[in-house]
Amino acid sequence: MPSEAPALELRGITKRFGPVVANDGIDFDLRPGEVHALLGENGAGKSTLMSILYGLYSPDEGEIRVNGEPVEVDSPSRAIDLGIGMVHQHFMLVPVMTVTENIVLGQEPRRGALLDVREGSRRVKELSDRYGLAVDPDAVIEEVSVGMQQRVEILKTLYRDARILILDEPTAVLTAQETKELFEVLRALTKDGVSIVFISHKLNEVLDISDRVTVLRRGKRIDTVATEGATEESLARLMVGRDVLLRVEKEQGKAGDPVLEVEDLQVRDLRGLEAVKGVSLTVRGGEIVALAGVDGNGQLELVQAIAGVRDPEAGRVTIEGREVTGQGVRATTEAGVAHIPEDRQLCGLILDFTLAENLALREYRKPPISNHGFLSVGEMKVRARSLLEEYDVRGGDPDTLASSLSGGNQQKVAVAREIASNPKLLIAHQPTRGLDVGAIEFVHNRLLAERDKGRGILLVSLEFEEIRALADRIVVIYEGQIVGEFPPDTSEEELGIAMTGGGRGGREAA
Amino acid sequence: MSTSVAAGRGVSISGRTAGWAGIALGVLAAWIALPPLLIRTPAVSVVLAAVGVAAGYYATRQGDRRLGWIAVGMAVLGALLAVIAVKSGEGNLDRVFVWSALTAGMLRFATPLIFGAMGGILSERSGVINIGLEGMMLMGAFFGIFGADLFGSWFLGIAVGIAAGALMGLLHAFVSIRLRADQVVSGTGINILAIGITGYVFIYHYGDQGTPSDISRVPTVTLPLIENIPFIGDAIGHMNLLTWAALLLVPILSVFLFRTRGGLRLRSVGEKPRAADSLGLPVLRTRYLAVTASGALAAVGGVYLSTALLGSFNEQMTAGRGFIALAAVIFGSWRPFGALAGALLFGFSTALAQRLPAFSESTAVLFQALPYVLTLVVVAGVIGRSRPPAAIGVPYVKE
Amino acid sequence: MSPIEDPEAVATTPASRLAGYLRGGGIFVPLLTTLLAFLVGGLVMLVTGSDPIETYKAIWKGTGLQWLFPWTTGADRTLAASNLQQTLIITTPLILTGLAVAFAFRAGLFNIGGNGQYIVGAIAAVWVGSSFAGMPSFLHILLAILAASVAGAVWAGIAGVLKATTGAHEVISTIMLNWIALWVGVWLFSLGGPLQNARQASIPVSDDVVDGAKLPVFWGDPVLQGLHIGIFIALAAVVVFWFLLNRSTIGYEVRAVGFNPEAARYSGMSVGKNYILVMAVCGLFAGLAGAMDVLGWQFRVATNDIQIAYFGFIGIAVALLGRNTAVGTLAAALLFGALISGTSQRNLDPTIFEPSLAGNLTFIIQGLVILIVSADVLVLALISRGRGIFRRGRAAPPPAAEVEP
Repeated sequence: MPSEAPALELRGITKRFGPVVANDGIDFDLRPGEVHALLGENGAGKSTLMSILYGLYSPDEGEIRVNGEPVEVDSPSRAIDLGIGMVHQHFMLVPVMTVTENIVLGQEPRRGALLDVREGSRRVKELSDRYGLAVDPDAVIEEVSVGMQQRVEILKTLYRDARILILDEPTAVLTAQETKELFEVLRALTKDGVSIVFISHKLNEVLDISDRVTVLRRGKRIDTVATEGATEESLARLMVGRDVLLRVEKEQGKAGDPVLEVEDLQVRDLRGLEAVKGVSLTVRGGEIVALAGVDGNGQLELVQAIAGVRDPEAGRVTIEGREVTGQGVRATTEAGVAHIPEDRQLCGLILDFTLAENLALREYRKPPISNHGFLSVGEMKVRARSLLEEYDVRGGDPDTLASSLSGGNQQKVAVAREIASNPKLLIAHQPTRGLDVGAIEFVHNRLLAERDKGRGILLVSLEFEEIRALADRIVVIYEGQIVGEFPPDTSEEELGIAMTGGGRGGREAA
Repeated sequence: MSTSVAAGRGVSISGRTAGWAGIALGVLAAWIALPPLLIRTPAVSVVLAAVGVAAGYYATRQGDRRLGWIAVGMAVLGALLAVIAVKSGEGNLDRVFVWSALTAGMLRFATPLIFGAMGGILSERSGVINIGLEGMMLMGAFFGIFGADLFGSWFLGIAVGIAAGALMGLLHAFVSIRLRADQVVSGTGINILAIGITGYVFIYHYGDQGTPSDISRVPTVTLPLIENIPFIGDAIGHMNLLTWAALLLVPILSVFLFRTRGGLRLRSVGEKPRAADSLGLPVLRTRYLAVTASGALAAVGGVYLSTALLGSFNEQMTAGRGFIALAAVIFGSWRPFGALAGALLFGFSTALAQRLPAFSESTAVLFQALPYVLTLVVVAGVIGRSRPPAAIGVPYVKE
Repeated sequence: MSPIEDPEAVATTPASRLAGYLRGGGIFVPLLTTLLAFLVGGLVMLVTGSDPIETYKAIWKGTGLQWLFPWTTGADRTLAASNLQQTLIITTPLILTGLAVAFAFRAGLFNIGGNGQYIVGAIAAVWVGSSFAGMPSFLHILLAILAASVAGAVWAGIAGVLKATTGAHEVISTIMLNWIALWVGVWLFSLGGPLQNARQASIPVSDDVVDGAKLPVFWGDPVLQGLHIGIFIALAAVVVFWFLLNRSTIGYEVRAVGFNPEAARYSGMSVGKNYILVMAVCGLFAGLAGAMDVLGWQFRVATNDIQIAYFGFIGIAVALLGRNTAVGTLAAALLFGALISGTSQRNLDPTIFEPSLAGNLTFIIQGLVILIVSADVLVLALISRGRGIFRRGRAAPPPAAEVEP
């Protein structure tokens, strides 16, 4: 077996986006019939690497070999020709079409001038049966489960005779049961000689399904290890690394009375699926509670429900004893909640507005910014000028458009606005995502200062560093449920395992 | 949407049947009060309509919401019409409701709408909104008759009309696909530009004389055997060649969209271009083709107006028919047969409006608004949402 | 209002894109657009055997704009004054229908319904204006204007309500409302219709607006269609438009919703409520336009007038060329007003160019303006080449934040 040429080999792949090196001389090989996991945090460079492999980006340096032959993959169709199939994290399916139509699209069987739907669905059925996919060829995509949709994506690649399968975070959208079923399918595939690249940051799943693991961190390959002998702890250490970015010197907060009380909150996501499944949570004045978890485990919906952006299905949200459940943003703001949203460009700022206008988003209906509906642009600018100075926003004055600021300064604007509304509870959702070190430090110090003023702060973060630097208490969320509470000095390994659903045998506690 | 739900579950077949039965009862309720039966009491109609309402309501409970509510609406409408009919004089009714003539009129007025709607379906199924149908149709109307006059042949007239419409389609495609302009703005520009171009060339070439009266016109097809059959002969025995072509176009387009490779690809481009692209399908080229073809089809509708129906051109003669065609597309949920139903319904209301002046001049006019009111109701989702292609209106940028 | 899933969707609200154009091209883009359209117009004349320069000169003369220059004297000046009055009479409703489209654009909506709103306003104005004969003039005018504005607001409001409650696309619903307004209008004044002229039973026309409800003429001869005070009302509307958008909390919300509905929602604004409000304001402007024409110079509405009304559609071109700003709309309205009046039967010298041809030429120019503005990138590319419009493939790499999900 080792003498056999690898099904796929990447040598010294480098990809830059402007000054950012997304992939830095990465080597990777895939043996026939193995599951090779690609492990790394968000932003480690996994998806970029696979996009290069699938012909979506072209590498700046490096070589790709398929079955020992050097190849150039300049488009997805070329990748398909080479027997490479990709299951994207966001499915490439046409919702209103049937399973068969989606699968045969582009390579349709014909009878005369017409589509041979029967032949198509026969072939789909045949493939489905061979690997135990249990897909109904005539079902309409939007009416089948996400798990089934994913199996359709896999079938799409198999229909095109893929021998190398790339799965990008395949379990991110699946339930525990569906994940189990997926793994069955993957095992059947590898038995048949299909090689699989499995991208994930869930340690337990990687240990469960893969034969080898390659760990990426900040665009570099850290190590490739055999799964046998690896543990969640050892993988977590490789993934997170030892080097610590920054530490904020902080004292333990003096927690006062509860500011936010969440009781048994249930929230559905955009697609109507249960995203938050009965969360209870308390944040006191003068403390920072970190909600830790891997992206997509219900944090967004939980935060939206607390901030009044999304109506919960059930449960209660109270701010200092005043119930605000489902009363909308305005009432929640009145009650004393401020919210730095996760996506500052999409939800936090209006990029075509000036800084002065952006800074007024919470206060525009109150004097002195407006009186009886008349907007005072002068007051808006005066207030903006002092906030921009206080929060050290660089590269703009009150008349500058938000879109022309750097990411860090944009975030400072959002932070300034929210804190200036003098909230009792401040929700900070990934407040430092994509910021440089200086900006991160600024935001961190500011959050600590606000805590010491007695505000309650709910920090949602995916970063160990940040959580450990700021939190007085850590609450871990996994699949829409709180799975544990930890003190701030908990080790990274322990947190990492809790966040990836590890350390607990059965995960069907739904 | 409703059809896919119905197909998905075997149980709801009874709901579907009930829905159609409700619609039929509504039509029947109105019909028996009209010639030839002319039942002079509303009682029977009201009873029939009540059953129709019940059937429709049952259908909504069975999950066929859209069909069910349409049935309820039709039944109520049927009863209303019956009551009005009973209150009207028999002589008037006899004059207006000559069914064979109404059918012939319906088909006549529906013809340009069908062409326009089929064009609209092509473009919108590929993901490009086509507000410019009106302008493309107008191009066909003028250049069709212009060509027929120039070459002395209606056949070449059609060809010239098609070319002019396709050119407008191509312009819309270029602006909205390549330049990624707002498709609605672009379509609006197309409409106004078409008014200018056709008006300019018309005046320039024909002055205030108008088009000559001896122009080669698209012939009417007389069916020798059918001609003498009582109702059918009057209804379809003397239909224009292009009306037949329009009626033929509907199943052809339907088969193309839902039964061929090209149709599948076209729909995938309009629903989820990124998915189509990821499988190596040419998204932009598909859209170019679809929008250009859309212009060509809409133009045939215009050619029919000038070169077949009237035998002359006057400025802005399409008078909103492109927009009614668009309405038919939406009314029919972007499906050829659905749009055909819309076009026939709108054609019928126009045909009726043409004959109604016997009753009252002004009421007849009000009938012209019916297609738009119905479409507004449909768009508002009062009777179930009509769902457009998912990627419509969004310029595609390759990754 | 469901949150927006696709980030691309936010970046492409019409308001946001147009804001981008505005910054990208400044005043040069509209100027170049106009120039380009007129150039093509000239080309059309050339091809069809007319002298473009002579023709444009004649059109210019027909606009009466040379009245503004002090060196125009004597008989020329008298003629110019009369022509300029016509130009401004047409400019008046164009300003208002332009504002009706522009205001919607600023909220990220596309109001194609200006024409229907205009018609509804005209109907309301003629109805009120021809009734209540004994009323004091000032009150009567006020009432008629108010009725027209409210009618337009309600009519457009339907589209707003449908959008806010059912998500019905405003483009489709306003188009449908246009035609419904048209046919309802024709019905009202057609023979035997409810509002058809009481004294002339054989003509499909409304009653005449009574003298007391007519807008006073302040320049020129009232009998020969002098300039009425509607122009000042339109100018006031421009000020209101600017003030509403830039100096009121309402406008602040409207712009926020237009640029980024998601962020507006996060800030506690009701996106749906704003849609309704915006459409109502648009309808108000367009309805006002109808009132100006009816009370200012038409004084009656014939079914034919309704069927050929198109000022609402030109409002789209006006707003787009004017970049949806107050001043821009004003300038664009003057341009199109001058073009229409300069090519009219009344003002254009038929020995140089046939007015009916010229009328169609204005359509060509308007259509081109809309197309070029809609594809603004084209003009921007002409200004600064190398923006990558005609290059294949994607020019800019994604920003670092988007590289990894």
